[in-house]
Amino acid sequence: MSAATTSRVHQGRRSATRGTVFDETMLGTLRLDGEHHEHHEHHEHRDGPDGPDGPDGRDGRDRDRRDRRIRLDLTVSADRVMRPWGTTEARAAGRVRITGLADDPNAEGELEISPLARRRIRYRIAFTAGGRRLTLDGWKSVSPRRPVASMTVLPFTLYADGAPMGTGTLRFPLSTQLLPFLASFRFPRPHEPGAVLASRWRGEPGRTEVWYTTVTDPDTGSGLWLHHELTAPVDGSQPYAHGWAAVFPEDGPVRHARFGPVPWSGAEPGFDAGEVASRPGRLSGSADEGALHWDIAERPAGEPLFTFPRWSWNRPLLPATHMLPAARSRYDGTFTHDGRTLTLSGVPGASARIYGHGNARRWAWLHADLGDGDVLEVVAAVSTRPGLRRLPPMVFLRLRRQGRDWPRRPERGAVGWAGAGRFRADTALPTWRVTGRTALRRIRVEVTQPADRTLVLDYTDPDGRHATCRNSERADAHVLLERWWFGGWRTEAEWTLDGTAHAEVGTR
Amino acid sequence: MSLTGLVAALIADDGTTDWPRRVPDRLETVLSTMPVGARAGMRAAARAVDAYALARTGRTLAGLTARERQSVVAGLTARPALLPLLDLLKVPVLLSAGTERMLEEGTTRSVLTRKDPPLDLTPASAWPACSTADAVVVGSGAGGAVAARSLARAGLDVLVLEEGSHHSTESFGRRAPLERFTELYRDGGATFALGTPPLLLPVGRAVGGTTLVNSGTCYRTPDHVLSRWSRHFGWTAADEFDRHLDEAERLLRVATQPLDVLGANGRLALAGAGALGWRAAPLRRNAPGCQGSCQCVAGCPTGAKHSVQLSVLPEACAAGARIVTEARVERVLVDTDRPGGPRAAGVRVRREQDGGAFDILAPLVVVAAGALQTPQLLRRSGLGGHPRLGHNLSVHPATSVAGRFAEPVKAWQGVLQSVGVEEHHGAGILIEATATPPGMGSFVLPGAGGELRRELEGVDRLATLGAMIADRPAGRVLGRRRTVVRYDLDRRDAGRLLRAVLAMGELLFAAGAEEVLTGIPRTPRVRSLAELRDVLAGTSARRLHLSAYHPTGTAAAGASPERFPVDPQGRLRGVHGVVVADASVLPSCPQVNPQLSVMAAALAIMENHTRAIVSR
Repeated sequence: MSAATTSRVHQGRRSATRGTVFDETMLGTLRLDGEHHEHHEHHEHRDGPDGPDGPDGRDGRDRDRRDRRIRLDLTVSADRVMRPWGTTEARAAGRVRITGLADDPNAEGELEISPLARRRIRYRIAFTAGGRRLTLDGWKSVSPRRPVASMTVLPFTLYADGAPMGTGTLRFPLSTQLLPFLASFRFPRPHEPGAVLASRWRGEPGRTEVWYTTVTDPDTGSGLWLHHELTAPVDGSQPYAHGWAAVFPEDGPVRHARFGPVPWSGAEPGFDAGEVASRPGRLSGSADEGALHWDIAERPAGEPLFTFPRWSWNRPLLPATHMLPAARSRYDGTFTHDGRTLTLSGVPGASARIYGHGNARRWAWLHADLGDGDVLEVVAAVSTRPGLRRLPPMVFLRLRRQGRDWPRRPERGAVGWAGAGRFRADTALPTWRVTGRTALRRIRVEVTQPADRTLVLDYTDPDGRHATCRNSERADAHVLLERWWFGGWRTEAEWTLDGTAHAEVGTR
Repeated sequence: MSLTGLVAALIADDGTTDWPRRVPDRLETVLSTMPVGARAGMRAAARAVDAYALARTGRTLAGLTARERQSVVAGLTARPALLPLLDLLKVPVLLSAGTERMLEEGTTRSVLTRKDPPLDLTPASAWPACSTADAVVVGSGAGGAVAARSLARAGLDVLVLEEGSHHSTESFGRRAPLERFTELYRDGGATFALGTPPLLLPVGRAVGGTTLVNSGTCYRTPDHVLSRWSRHFGWTAADEFDRHLDEAERLLRVATQPLDVLGANGRLALAGAGALGWRAAPLRRNAPGCQGSCQCVAGCPTGAKHSVQLSVLPEACAAGARIVTEARVERVLVDTDRPGGPRAAGVRVRREQDGGAFDILAPLVVVAAGALQTPQLLRRSGLGGHPRLGHNLSVHPATSVAGRFAEPVKAWQGVLQSVGVEEHHGAGILIEATATPPGMGSFVLPGAGGELRRELEGVDRLATLGAMIADRPAGRVLGRRRTVVRYDLDRRDAGRLLRAVLAMGELLFAAGAEEVLTGIPRTPRVRSLAELRDVLAGTSARRLHLSAYHPTGTAAAGASPERFPVDPQGRLRGVHGVVVADASVLPSCPQVNPQLSVMAAALAIMENHTRAIVSR
């Protein structure tokens, strides 16, 4: 089967299967063709045939001189879970360093991982060295007689424009790299931000579905909030689409306007209500008879982030669930309100999705872009269900830091171990707090929503009841992350957001 | 365990000349290249003879005088049952003795007819651990060379892997034939087929394969054989053979051997045939400018014989093919999990020098390792699933007869295989006047001790003929690594062999021979045709000294998927990307020396593949 067919098959399965990602580092030596001769002659000339070095010493030194050190740091990703007994085609990206020849952080290539079926793990990595495109091609020949050696030694040939220019051997240093290698294994779901933008609603009465986007413009200090909502009333009457847009300028009062309601068409992927639309990659619309209008492009810049357990999005068993198609996004475009135009150019923000039976009895929400790709998302809520409404708020806290999510599972913060060790929330305004700890880490989040930067809005649930929401896209936040270290807590990271946090507190 | 005593006894070393004293050392060298079994057998036999001497005289052979040794040998030869065993012992001894005697007499220096054309050669020890190619050809003999040339000329990046080494024509000229002999053959030339009777089955192992050590005889595949291959077996490639045979003849510059260097052996065969009115003629050979060195079987020292490493491989290399020498292919790498069935991915190669291994990845693997090695390689690779793989082995069983003439013949001065007598070819018997350097032929001189010594001294008056018969495929190649061949001579073929001996005797007597050496241990000499008839009437083919050449058919090509492991296009059934292009694909005995047939088969198979590549 050709590589093209393989990738087609993988693409066909992509929506169904998880992928595999791992990091691998290998060290070794490279000998370029022709260098041997040169150095040898040079050496003999210097020492002469009767020089002090014995043949061994000379060989040893020659080898040192001839061989260049090479280091490969690769991140390998495959479109499906690696099957050790089968063949997995994977992509590799990373850095190639060769002493005196190359240091390319943008090396890329492919792997054929087939330790049992084909008894071969093949690496083909292309990189640039001094303006030339070089390819490293080699494979580990897996042998049951020497499992460790054959799985860790990678002989290779280096090619320049298809012609061999040297050979070498890379080794996987078991002593130092085995644990990081094993710990680096991840089996992520395929990342398709567009897929979760399609409506979840299947015609049931008493549901609400939300597409909302919050944006901060660092240049002007302004915040934006675009809320698109589908409501299917409990009484079975016609579902309707509605929503609002709000701008939080630094120098003035919050301005907002509602749009809709209009009958729900449901034809397009995403949200569509007359003039207003939220589709994959694009937000557009106008409200208040054109006083507010916007046209914004969205560029997802991160993996999805499930604030609630992922299963609750796929199977709507909880009263409601919340997720971000991309933990962070970048926005470009314009937002005009009352004649003032805000021009956005790669500004940070995020879109989120809610699906469920309606609003909580009491809730608090925070989205904090912590910089360097780190994101904190918090939802603390008390259900309206009988019994559940007596419980303290359940805290769903997701801290994405350096590509890892903490706590590892969303349920950990919400319910702890049968309630013990759950995260706590105090949702009083103007400053609300969330605290929580796991075995070795603890977090403290303080969010301040000053009244002058807060918009108070009335929400209507599918059952017709109302809730009041206090929202600010210019909230302040302070996040303190600590790690336990031999008897004491040490600060691991601390973030202070001054007017760039997005937060909301709702009550009935 | 020294072999000095045994050698001294067998060739009656009486101390009058120097050369017999050097024979034991030479014999040790010969034995060192042979497989363990042959070595152990030889030493065990030497011990047994020593034990016999000890029991008879109280001393081992080495401690006896020449006269006492003669009496011990006479005691042994008086037991007819021991004669065949003794003959087996004599083969390597005669090989060594013949060489030492020839060296004693002095050899003529060979003159190079031309410089060897260049080849792109790399020893396996200098080959990188990881490499790729468009196609890998396993074996550089008649089939492999042609396959490499065809694929390289189609624009593919081709690697030829050869287990043996490369030997230049110049290097042949520098050394005695026997020194080369042991290097150029698998198992030092001692490959045996087990069975009744056992057969010696020498095959070459070097760049050029067996074409390096064959006699250069180039017969076109007979038409009746081709039509059988096509009609009976459905191997349609045979229909196009004429064109490919022409191409092979052109590549090898095949021509009828001129009479000037034919030698006395060939001229006697022609004279005998002329007297009987039989069809006979100098053979067509791939040796323009042959100087009659009579050393074909140990590599032509003048470069006149156009073996494939001098004719086809240079063209392949000129088109970009590269040859890796001393590289034994351990297995064909097969990706078993490919959609559509298993597919060849390359080969695992073992370096002969240090035993290390390396892989070469290639989507096309052409297996041309010879009829004895191809089935074993496929089995080692897990591709030996077809029940007929390794079966259907034809070998051209052959025997030889010598005639003693009044005048010196000096058969080793002239062309090694010079004249073909086709009178009985219709009956499956092809007689070829074949003389080898002393000891290297399949003819075993009769007697032991003083008798053998006298034969050795009078060997220049002998003319030898060989006959090979078209056999039924009665053999099998067994095993995965060691060459293990089983061959049970068919009853019909046994009859043919006896008829062949009779025909050769007739020819020799007609040419004026005083005496014919039959090669039958109990009745080694006959002085008339009537006597020969009587002897043959009372003997069976099992008593003849048989050797065999030209193994074919072990991965036969044909239409029926049940009967033939290889399809008519040369593809191994059950796997993609493996093509067989050597003597193994010939579905039955070609009935003539098969070099042209093998080359034409490879040309036909590769034409099919290159056409597919070009049209892709």
